[in-house]
Amino acid sequence: MTLHIGQSQRRENARRHLAGRGRFVSDLALPRMLHAVFVRSPMAKGRILDIDTEAASLCPGVLRIFTAADLNPRCQPWVGTLDHFAGMQSPPMNILAENEVLWAGHPVAMILARSRAEAEDAADQVLVDIEDTEPVTGGAPVLQPGAPRANEATDSNLCYETLLETPDVDRAFTEAAHVVEAAFTFGRHTAVTLEPRAVVADYDPASGALTVHHGTQTPYQFQDVYARHFGLPEGKVRVIAPDVGGSFGMKLHVYNEEMGTVAASLILGRPVRYVADRLESFVSDIHARDHDVHGRMAVAADGTILAMEVDDLTRIGAVSAYPRTSAAEGNQVIRLMGAPYRMPDYRGKLSVAFQNKVQTSQYRAVGHPIACAVTEALVERAAEATGCDPFEIRARNLIADDAYPHVSATGYQFEKLSHQACLARLREMMDPDALRAEQAALRTRGIYRGFGIASFVEITNPGATFYGIGGARISAQDGAVVRMLPSGDIHCAISVTEQGQGTETIIAQVVADQLGVAPERVSVTTGDTATTPSGGANWACRGAGIGGETALRAGRQLRDRILTLAGALVQADPATLRLAGGAVVDAASGAPRIALEEIGRIATYRPDTLPDGVDHSLTVAHHFAPVGYPFDFTNGIQGSLVEVDTETGLVKLLKHWVVEDCGRIINPLLVDEQIRGGVVQGLGPALFEECQYDADGQLTNGSLAEYLVPMAVEMPDIEIAHIETPTQDTILGAKGVGEAGTAAAGAAAMNAVNDALRPFGACLTQTPMTPLRILDALDAALQERTAP
Amino acid sequence: MKLEGEQFLDADPMTVWAALFDREVLAAAIPGCESLDQTSDTEFAAVVKLKVGPVSARFKGDVVLSDIVPGHSCTLSGKGSGGIAGFAKGAAQVTLTPEGTGVRLRYDADVAVGGKLAALGSRLIKSTAQKLTDAFFANLSEILAVPETAEPV
Repeated sequence: MTLHIGQSQRRENARRHLAGRGRFVSDLALPRMLHAVFVRSPMAKGRILDIDTEAASLCPGVLRIFTAADLNPRCQPWVGTLDHFAGMQSPPMNILAENEVLWAGHPVAMILARSRAEAEDAADQVLVDIEDTEPVTGGAPVLQPGAPRANEATDSNLCYETLLETPDVDRAFTEAAHVVEAAFTFGRHTAVTLEPRAVVADYDPASGALTVHHGTQTPYQFQDVYARHFGLPEGKVRVIAPDVGGSFGMKLHVYNEEMGTVAASLILGRPVRYVADRLESFVSDIHARDHDVHGRMAVAADGTILAMEVDDLTRIGAVSAYPRTSAAEGNQVIRLMGAPYRMPDYRGKLSVAFQNKVQTSQYRAVGHPIACAVTEALVERAAEATGCDPFEIRARNLIADDAYPHVSATGYQFEKLSHQACLARLREMMDPDALRAEQAALRTRGIYRGFGIASFVEITNPGATFYGIGGARISAQDGAVVRMLPSGDIHCAISVTEQGQGTETIIAQVVADQLGVAPERVSVTTGDTATTPSGGANWACRGAGIGGETALRAGRQLRDRILTLAGALVQADPATLRLAGGAVVDAASGAPRIALEEIGRIATYRPDTLPDGVDHSLTVAHHFAPVGYPFDFTNGIQGSLVEVDTETGLVKLLKHWVVEDCGRIINPLLVDEQIRGGVVQGLGPALFEECQYDADGQLTNGSLAEYLVPMAVEMPDIEIAHIETPTQDTILGAKGVGEAGTAAAGAAAMNAVNDALRPFGACLTQTPMTPLRILDALDAALQERTAP
Repeated sequence: MKLEGEQFLDADPMTVWAALFDREVLAAAIPGCESLDQTSDTEFAAVVKLKVGPVSARFKGDVVLSDIVPGHSCTLSGKGSGGIAGFAKGAAQVTLTPEGTGVRLRYDADVAVGGKLAALGSRLIKSTAQKLTDAFFANLSEILAVPETAEPV
């Protein structure tokens, strides 16, 4: 019986946030709390000759100034490699720079003062003498033998490389009627969360307990990290992630500043607060992307895709991120190439290179937008080469909906996807014939519109093969404790976390349906390692699929307990009873037998009246780890309609369409919110967002005056439709949806821009597609046309 | 980052030239200059307080004059550290050309900034640099325009 799963329910915490009752770490003030500010290297690379803190130490309000010698010995260094990335290397990292500074922004000293303002004033007085050396900031040449190195601890700038190939890939290219190819560049961008990174570390020397209030999506991971790296018993470490103002993958990495804040609290025995300001977020939050990809596609005369070959060079920081590494994005790029298509052959080469910039690592839709943009741009070229239309070539090559299970050329196993149904639905929504007619009519008036589409596959519900197999202490399982209160209300404590996406709301819906109550009667606790069971929490689109299944199974166990107890109370076989409307009812007739509050009252206050041997415990704990396929892939397709002003290079986004299949939909409203937010986060880097560096390794647009984020006024209407193909791996059947919008929005927009520019022969292969790049492409095309 | 520009100064070339090497004139003309010490014939050490957007910093730096062709041209190169705000380094080629009753001063500078200053973005840096340069020349013109007789005896 399903009542609330599948219903649009408003996000439970939205009302609290709207009322200004949010509880963010940024707002937390504890007695005797100190404020931390970090002195950062202004150089991208260099050797520290001297740090003079004397003048700073005399500033008003300053309690302590720490350098590497004070903090680093308190912390085990961390190394951002994973065992299953064979041959990967990265130097150990610790809190403050010891001898070398590795990027502009690398923390070298930490000031602790009574207020942030006093700490900042003191930071201004710290004299850091750095002998700067030539930083590594370039592209492919950084990997050549003898090239200057980004850090002195590794033997080259190659962090990791890998190659995937099928045996017949070369033959496919030889025999192809057409080979299309292009070189792509995907700019760096960053998360720009509304609430920046925030942490308040509170060590109590009397009890030996460390409590860290941390705006993170993965509290259990940080409980483990803090315990191991600071040598504390895990049971003495508590991590609390209350309301978190956006995370998008950026808030699950280990950062120097958070580790420094914990170390300072351990040393001083009082609470220490660090909240990144916007300027330092740009030079310390992880960045994402930064890939150069050369791609080729082999196509038969009838438009059948035979093979792809890609070479991806991605430039990370001087050190790989911890604990998920900076190589996982590239790894997903080369594995997701061509994923929606029957394409039998493939070769993908990945090179991950160190350079002296901010670290890159996982950010919403890790690798997906790159694999999707390259694949879909090549599909467009293949369509052009073979005279197919964009819908026709995809219909010809997308995996048939009845051809599952299917293994991709890169080795991904797909349980069941719905590409063809999604394509057909998108065609109905977009009406491409009408768009073509409109395009032709407008061109005669000098208005250049274009549309583009992009199919995608998204990785969700990852099992332990994702990180656990590589030795990372990152949980693939989740846990829930569900209990019935004496009143009959339900409480669920669960390890998946809430950053504004509505996790708590959908968990309440799932639990409510197992126990026959309204979701309003289910309260949900998340984000506190002391009050919720350990689990993976939220990343890689696992909250609904894995967390939801955990809640479902725990709810069913509690249901069985309640029915057993009710059977004893009403003297009926529990098998003839079920839960509905807040009561135990007769399974066949639905007639009420006993209300939940009556069961709660007896179990709690009068267990003495129960027959001997009847278990009156109304709390269950359950843990669930994904079984079956290593991932539950989702799929979908997006369309974009744009207008390009060929005089100014400005792109107007007119409309965006998404057809998405995330399996069982728990809450249509929140699923659509996830898709819309994801689309915006995909369109941002396609058109606006880029962390720009100069040749000296200086970030030159690290403020919101210069770094362009997508605003509501630039965003188009986003129309969404769904196909539902539940996974059979779970009872719930839900897959993830958080990254779907981001995965393909940029690819669709790039195809749309290039469709608009087709009459000029101009073609963009670099993101963001800024007005300048569009004008340059138009100019290059003009030069080519007019060349003798 | 390239900065370039020119300014007409209503004074004879040798007066302008001398002013460019005069510690007191420079100290008065440089916006935000807190101290300026001449450490040799061709070297100065300066402390300058600047505000760029939300970042204010006290820069300590050294300036060296080279390629000197008296009365005509020279190169100023320097490096300054603004502590947590970052650093700036660069060189400027300064040329004087007689024009009418005065002299036209032209400068071509190549400046690199680092740290928080760089991250603020070149638009802000460049507009601030332009503003400071304008202020410098306005100050210089004003100082040069003061008649010699007005000097205290």
